[in-house]
Amino acid sequence: MEDAAKAAIEAVLKVGAKFADVRIENTTTTVIELSDGVTKRSLASRLKGAGIRAFIDGAWAFGQATDLTPKGMRETGESVARLALATRGRVAKRFEIDGPSFQDKVRLKVKKPFQDVTFEEKIAFAKMIDDQARDFDDRIHNTRTIYGDLCTELYIANSLGTSVHLENSLPIVISITTAKDGTNRQRGYKSMGTRGGFEDLETERSQHIGEESAKLAVDLLSSVAAAGGTYNVVLDPVLNGVMIHEAFGHASEADNWPAHTTILEDKVGKMVGPEHLNLTDDPTLPGMRGSFEYDWEGTKTRKRNLVKDGILTELMHSLETAVLLDMEPNGSARAQSFTHSPLPRMSNTFMEPGDWDVDELISDTNGGLLLCGYNYGYTVPSKGQFMFQANYGYMIENGELTKLVRDVSMAGQILEVLSKIDAIGKDFSMESGTCAKSGQSVPEMAGGPHARIREIPVGGA
Amino acid sequence: MLGLEKFLWEVHKLDQRLLEIGEMVVRRAEELGASQAEAYVATSRSFTIDVENNAIKSASEKRDAGCGVRSVVKTGRVGFAYVTTLQDEDLFEAAAKSVKLAKVSVPDPDFVTLPSYSGIYPTVKGLFDPAIQKLSSEEAAELIMRTVDATNEAVDARQTAVEAQLSAAAGIKAIVNSLGISGSVETAAIFINSSPTIKDDNDQTSSYEFQVSRNLKSIDPEWVGSTAGRSAVNNLGGRTIEGGDMPIILTPLAVSTVIGGGFGGAINAEEIQYGRSYIADALGELIASESLSIMDDSHIVGGIGSRSFDAEGVPTKRMQILHGGVLKNILHNSYTANKDQVENTGNASRPSYSGLPSISPSNLVIAPGKGTLDDLVSEIKKGILLRYTGDRPNMTTGDLSAMVMEGHYIEDGAIEHSVKNTLVGINMRDLLQRVHRIGADIRVTSTVVTPSIVVESAKVTSG
Repeated sequence: MEDAAKAAIEAVLKVGAKFADVRIENTTTTVIELSDGVTKRSLASRLKGAGIRAFIDGAWAFGQATDLTPKGMRETGESVARLALATRGRVAKRFEIDGPSFQDKVRLKVKKPFQDVTFEEKIAFAKMIDDQARDFDDRIHNTRTIYGDLCTELYIANSLGTSVHLENSLPIVISITTAKDGTNRQRGYKSMGTRGGFEDLETERSQHIGEESAKLAVDLLSSVAAAGGTYNVVLDPVLNGVMIHEAFGHASEADNWPAHTTILEDKVGKMVGPEHLNLTDDPTLPGMRGSFEYDWEGTKTRKRNLVKDGILTELMHSLETAVLLDMEPNGSARAQSFTHSPLPRMSNTFMEPGDWDVDELISDTNGGLLLCGYNYGYTVPSKGQFMFQANYGYMIENGELTKLVRDVSMAGQILEVLSKIDAIGKDFSMESGTCAKSGQSVPEMAGGPHARIREIPVGGA
Repeated sequence: MLGLEKFLWEVHKLDQRLLEIGEMVVRRAEELGASQAEAYVATSRSFTIDVENNAIKSASEKRDAGCGVRSVVKTGRVGFAYVTTLQDEDLFEAAAKSVKLAKVSVPDPDFVTLPSYSGIYPTVKGLFDPAIQKLSSEEAAELIMRTVDATNEAVDARQTAVEAQLSAAAGIKAIVNSLGISGSVETAAIFINSSPTIKDDNDQTSSYEFQVSRNLKSIDPEWVGSTAGRSAVNNLGGRTIEGGDMPIILTPLAVSTVIGGGFGGAINAEEIQYGRSYIADALGELIASESLSIMDDSHIVGGIGSRSFDAEGVPTKRMQILHGGVLKNILHNSYTANKDQVENTGNASRPSYSGLPSISPSNLVIAPGKGTLDDLVSEIKKGILLRYTGDRPNMTTGDLSAMVMEGHYIEDGAIEHSVKNTLVGINMRDLLQRVHRIGADIRVTSTVVTPSIVVESAKVTSG
């Protein structure tokens, strides 16, 4: 593998490019989907190949190779370098790629590696989850269980001298249940993802994910649609994480700075929220789905204090953005696979806990909403506009939780919403997810404590 | 002329080669115990240029090849495996894994058989333009910089950072199965977009415009650029409004997400069979306004969703979905058609060799009415012009809560200002019933062909 990467890097430099890097990946995945107790999808895959980049004077070129012999790598390297040379005259700004180099071989220790677990065992696990959801209540109309595992061996090398071997192992289980009562249909969604082996699916939480999703679907049968309006909203940890991810995280990915596409462009070192607000992105947390020791450019990762005491202090960087912004690289460049170029991305993103007791937070909120779980969210950092949708929630009336509501959407402006966060709980939890940007999906986690936002527009259907 | 002949000969050769690989993989799966097998083999080349802050940032060339194998062992056990190379050892590993997975899966009593077909496929023209395949990196750079220039010109003196992208892709896919399916097709498409971020003294905003086509000549970088630039300028000065129930005009881009995604996904037979769609047991019933007619047209010349056979190799046809508000047909693949014992509509779709067949519309075509967008605006006393939203409904309940990503407030027949922090809420069943006016301003977004439509009333929240 080292030889193949070396051949490509040498070829790129020989053609005349100034920087080269290579990612060689070998990934196997298994996906098993059951619906109503029978297999609907059982899928095994192998992705293998190399992604090669060349850089000169501000121009990048990217190509991929599945022929991993030194000859094949050399040829792809040459063609990528020629492409970079061809576009160098049209760049906005000339600069060089520089940064620290790393040499390491990281082994990920798991108790039960997925390649040692048979398809039968994986299917049996999915069937157990699917059955428990269906058996939960007579009103369960459809069950759907998705089991997935992904094992990656990744080698990263570049012309600065980096040579890093990495491993990853990511299980996920998703349960989606539809409950029906007359013409009323509701859907419950629960998922659990970690970084580890099959042993992570033997935990208490994983073993009951089907029941959780079924319970939610059944409960939602008696929910009402929330009336649209402006509310004081308490977010649960899951939804708080989604808000931080959508409303703030994406806008603090540093590739937005050279592109001039973030509302935060002039805010580095300045107040972006109240003093009690601390936002963090940390890829070094063990066992978390968004964790990695080195990023896809081979830079060692560390914790990022995005917002410290209300001040925007750090961004998510690739080698390039660290050079362009004259900040320290912090290992945030991620790619979906060898077929993509790495981009600055989040990992495990969260709001640091505050000092409010959760019960007090709710009883202090009159005429508001507690919103929980999420369906989806998205943002346009260049406009500062974001929206996300809670899976369900409760009306808060006279300081007490009352009616169950569903599918509640919130929209806002990044800079306005942070200043409206007036109370932060002392609890904390994280939820796994997958984040899409520029056509690339990467595993991540988001979370935090319960937190309250004052006066935010909420749309019911 | 000589060049073209050589080119055609090469294509023919690759075409045959993929079918041979498919046959080999199917045979291997059968030898390992599959009673039926299917191979989906594809190769493609794509070229992309990215522009950031008005200048070229990167270029990439990707060559992709791979194979997906679906194996069936008796009594409804199905397994699938894919690999991202076309090397024999990897292909054989995929065939073996698919059979192994099939053998241990929980049998699906509703799975009857893979599809069979041995006739001739309908002809669908305009799917492959050799000019797209042959587009050089210099020509591509030229096209995207023209887009950027047109954007900047439309924005005029304000501070502007344009992001833009050009992507051109060409490829061949082949589908082979044990029951006589054997089809291959070559396609090409080009996509350009422009997204300017603009700033004035106290506001920052952006917009987005794109064009996707299977014909290089129809790409119009000046239109994409100038439209994106003008829209960004129009988006400045976003304000909140007083909410309430009011009419909403959905422009083709908004129709594309709300109806294309939100209705196109609801007429998927698989979702309906499982009771996961807000449209269930409604075939033959009046579910929409009588002015709404929608067709699934897989035969549009050069259509992005056009295909002569679907992702299982089943021949496609043109089909009415909604006519005068009545639900005439839903979309099937072989599995759902066999389960309901109805005719397969040929709507199997898959992302590439890397996925199992699901179901999707080909091109959804909404029949036009009368009038320009300006006419529609002039008829509104107080309402919202929704140009773009990223939101889709909850497919089970039909509840839609859509953020106005780009839109304007209308008062007394004229556009007043752009809106921010504004959500439109409505259930899809109501939305379909409340379409009371359809324009004639047809646009092809990608797989949706539609004019603007007016929904009589929806709940608007803003703050």
